[in-house]
Amino acid sequence: MSDLLFYLLATALVIFSLLAVHVPNLLHAAIALIASFFVTAAIYIMLEMEFLALAQIMLYIGGIVIFMLIIILLTTGIGEERRLPVTISRRLAGAGLAALFLGGLIVAFGRWTPPAPAGTNPAVSLDAIGLRLLATQNGFVVAFELISVLLLTALVGAVVIARKDKGETP
Amino acid sequence: MTLSHCIVLALILCAIGVYGLLSRRNLIGLLLSVEVMLNGANLNFAAFAHFRATDPVAGAIFPVFVMAVSACEMAVALAIVIALYRGRRQLDVRSLEELRG
Repeated sequence: MSDLLFYLLATALVIFSLLAVHVPNLLHAAIALIASFFVTAAIYIMLEMEFLALAQIMLYIGGIVIFMLIIILLTTGIGEERRLPVTISRRLAGAGLAALFLGGLIVAFGRWTPPAPAGTNPAVSLDAIGLRLLATQNGFVVAFELISVLLLTALVGAVVIARKDKGETP
Repeated sequence: MTLSHCIVLALILCAIGVYGLLSRRNLIGLLLSVEVMLNGANLNFAAFAHFRATDPVAGAIFPVFVMAVSACEMAVALAIVIALYRGRRQLDVRSLEELRG
């Protein structure tokens, strides 16, 4: 049962991701990306990572993809990609290199013997994540604070980059 | 569902991202492909944390950092795209070569 569900979800995930990178219309691609993120959240729930599933839906779908949709709607108009035709040779080169990459990695992982199986871990509780995130001993508090500084820096940098220059006519 | 299944799925996602990076010509399309690759990487973190890690909490926390950095990346990318689009009205990566040495 669990296997069947996993295969279904994995197939859906691969199909939606392929649509996201292949569809010429970027708006449709972003919507396919939203679908693929929802399927990934379902896989996280199968892996007993409820927190990650929530973060995936709230951060990725609610934040990042919406951001991307705003970029698409602000700049390109719907269907911009039609003006930049992708040649078949470019697609073939991309597909060939991606296949080479995938084949190499699968061969590499096939030769790799995983460490001794420890069985599956118990589900990670939200409490444990919250305490660990802000713990000073063996915790992630420095990374947490650095991320907040990085977010602030990125926001200020974005405003500076996107601002019109003084003498520029709109 | 075992660790190997999850690793193969993550590898496939990563390869799809590589394909998108190589075949898209629009700057926003490249960003979409990068998101697909990051999604595969996060899946790998979760799978290893679930099946193998001695410290699964760390495996659950790390993808959140990936998501936060990815949000920063999108914010800066939005600014760059708007600045580029204001000047030249197109986002073809082949024609963006001001920084070429």
